[in-house]
Amino acid sequence: MLEALLPEALLPEVIRQNLPFLLAGLAMTVRLAAIGIVGGTLLGLLVGVIRYARVPVLSPLAALYVEIVRGTPLLVVLFICYFAIPALLGYRTSAVNAAALGFVLFIAAYLAEDVRSGLRSVPPGLARAGLATGLSTVQVFRLIVLPQALRRIIPPVFSQYVRLFKFTSVASVIGVRELTGSALLVNAREFQPVVILATVALTYLVLCSTLSLVGRLLYARLSVRT
Amino acid sequence: MHYQFDWSQVWQHRDLIFDGLLVTVALSVASLVPTLIIGMLIGTLGASGSRAARTAAGLYVEGMRNVPLLIHMYVWYMALAFLRLPPFACAVLGLTLYSSAYVAELVRSGIGAVPRGQARAAAASGLRPWQALLLVVYPQALRIIAPSLASLASQLIKDSSLASVIAVAELSYQAGAIEGQTFRTFEVYITIAVLYLALVLLVSFAIDRIPGLRDAPSVGRIADA
Amino acid sequence: MSETPLIVLDRVCKQYGTTPVLRDCSLTVARGEIVVVCGPSGSGKSTLIKCINGLEPYQSGSVRFDGEEVGARTTDLPRLRSRIGMVFQSFELYPHMTALRNVMLAQVHALKRPRAEARARSLDLLARVGLADRAEAYPADLSGGQQQRVAIARALALDPIAMLFDEPTSALDPEMINEVLDVMTGLARDGMTMVVVTHEMGFARKVANRVVFMDEGRIVEDRPSEAFFGAPVTERARVFLSKIIAH
Repeated sequence: MLEALLPEALLPEVIRQNLPFLLAGLAMTVRLAAIGIVGGTLLGLLVGVIRYARVPVLSPLAALYVEIVRGTPLLVVLFICYFAIPALLGYRTSAVNAAALGFVLFIAAYLAEDVRSGLRSVPPGLARAGLATGLSTVQVFRLIVLPQALRRIIPPVFSQYVRLFKFTSVASVIGVRELTGSALLVNAREFQPVVILATVALTYLVLCSTLSLVGRLLYARLSVRT
Repeated sequence: MHYQFDWSQVWQHRDLIFDGLLVTVALSVASLVPTLIIGMLIGTLGASGSRAARTAAGLYVEGMRNVPLLIHMYVWYMALAFLRLPPFACAVLGLTLYSSAYVAELVRSGIGAVPRGQARAAAASGLRPWQALLLVVYPQALRIIAPSLASLASQLIKDSSLASVIAVAELSYQAGAIEGQTFRTFEVYITIAVLYLALVLLVSFAIDRIPGLRDAPSVGRIADA
Repeated sequence: MSETPLIVLDRVCKQYGTTPVLRDCSLTVARGEIVVVCGPSGSGKSTLIKCINGLEPYQSGSVRFDGEEVGARTTDLPRLRSRIGMVFQSFELYPHMTALRNVMLAQVHALKRPRAEARARSLDLLARVGLADRAEAYPADLSGGQQQRVAIARALALDPIAMLFDEPTSALDPEMINEVLDVMTGLARDGMTMVVVTHEMGFARKVANRVVFMDEGRIVEDRPSEAFFGAPVTERARVFLSKIIAH
C-alpha cells in the first residue's frame, strides 16, 4: 500500500532496491509510535489524575515513577525493559515488546505532568460553580475540569508525541528493525551512508512535521477561548 | 523472584563507570555551550521583525528538531565520515544542532512573552535596538524561560547517552561494556540510571540556586520541550 | 408554604488558620424575602453566603436550609445545592460550552432531566434573560453583562427555591450593570427568595426587604432597608454608606 504512494522512479537506486525492507522498517516505526502514543496517553492520564487528585498512597508512588523516568535517558529505560527487568523477574521478552513497554513507560511520565499541570490550570471558580449547581465532585471533574484541561494541553501533548516518534529510532540500539535499524542494516550491506541516512532523515522530518501539524489543527479547532 | 543480586561486580568496575561519568559530563558541557549560543541567535532571528529572518529561523528549527538525534549522530559519524572527525566531536555536533533548535524555539517564545511596550519604552529612552535587546528584553525573557531552559539542560544530559552508538565511551557505553563482561544486567543498568538521575537532579538543584532566577516572576512555563 | 424561615444561620464562626473570617454570624431569611448583604471588602460577605450552600466549610455554629443542616455529614450536598441557585462575581461560565450547554449541564447531570426537556427549559430561560438569540454563542463571544445573564439562567434552570448572588455586578462595565439588575429585580417581583451581596445601593433601596451590614467578619447591622438607609445606627455603616454614595 505504501509502495503505491511513492514516486518510485524518483528514489535513489539504493533505496529503490531495498524498498520493501525499508518500508517494513517504517511500518514497525509507525506501529511502535502508535503503541507508545495510545498506551502512554492512557497511563499518563491515569498517573496525572492520581497526582492531581492527591490519591493517598498512590499519589506519592506516581510522583516517584514520574521523577525517576524523567531523570533517566530513554536508552537506559529501553535497556532496563529489555535486559534488567526480565533478568530480575525471570522472563524472556522480544526486543519489540521490550521497546513498546519502554516507550509507554517513558512517554507516560512526561504526559502525566502535562495532564497534571493542565488540570491545575483550570480556574477553581469553575469547579465551584459546578458544585453550586448540584453536580457531584466526580461530575464536576468529568464534565467541567477534565475537558478543559485536555483542550489546554494539546500543544505540549503533541510535542511529546513528536518526541516519541523520533525516539522510536532508539529501539534500533536493542536490535529492533524499525526505520533506523533497517536503514543501518541496508547500509552495512550497501555502504552508501549519505543517501541512506539522508532518505531516513527526510522521512522522519516529513512524518514528524505532519504529526505536529495535526496537533496544531486540532488545537485551533478545540482550544478554549477565555 | 529468583534473581541473585551481586553488586560487587559493578563495584569492581567503578573506574570504568567513573570514566564514563566524566565523559558524559564533558560531552554535556561541550554541547551545552554552543547549543545556548546558537539557540539564542536563531531564537532572536525568529522573533525579529524581518520576515526572511523568521522564515530562515523557522526552517532551521523544524529541520533540526524533526530529525531524531540518533540520526544526527549517524550523519556526522557515518555519512560525513570523510571529515574524519573523532566520535566525541561528532556527538557534540549532533547534540548541538538538535538541542539548539529547542533552545531557539524557547528563546523565541520568551522574547515574544516580554510585553512589546518594554522595547518601545527602551527605544523612547534613547537606547539603540541592540541595547534594548541586551539590557531590557533578554533579561526578562531569560527569567521567563529559565525553568524550561533548565529542563532542556537536563534533557541534553540524558540525550548524550545516544553518543554510545557511535562509540563515545560515556556512561551508557561503559554500562554496555561492563554488562558484556559481567552479565550483571540489572545491577549495571540500575547503577547508571541512578547516576543519570543524580546528574539531572544536580543540574536542576544548581539552576534553582542561580540568584535572580529563583525569584523570577511566575509567568508560567512555556511548552516543556 | 410553611412558616419556618428558609435560611437560618446561627452563630457561625469560620477561620483560615488563625485569621477569623466569620465571627458569630446569625441571620434568618424568610421565604420570599430579599436580603442585601453589604460591607467593606474583606468583611466576610462572600464567605457568609457561600456557607449557605456549603461551598465554604465553617468551624462552629449551624447553617440550616429549608430545615436541613448544611454542615451535617449526612446531608446530600449536591441535592441541597441543586435547590439553591448561585451567581458569581466572575460569572464562571464553562468556556468550552455554548451558552445553551452551560444552562443544560446541571439539569441533565444533576437533576437527570431528559435532554429534550432540559433543552426546551434552557431556551425558555435564555429568552427570559433576553438572550434567546445567543444560545449557540460561546462565553468568549458574549459581553460581561450577557455572560452574567447566562449565569443567572443557568442557576434558574434548577428551579431553585432560593438564589444567592455574590457581587453579581462588580466585574461589569458600568453600562452593563443595569441589564443584570433588571433581571434580578424581575426575579424579586416573582417572589424568589434572594440573598444578594452587592454594593449597588440603588438596587438595595428599591428591591431589598432587609439590609445586612458586615464588618471584620461580624454582622454589625441587620435592619429593614428603609430604616438602614434612613439612618444607620453604627458609625461604621454611616462611613461606609457615605463612601459608597459619594462615588
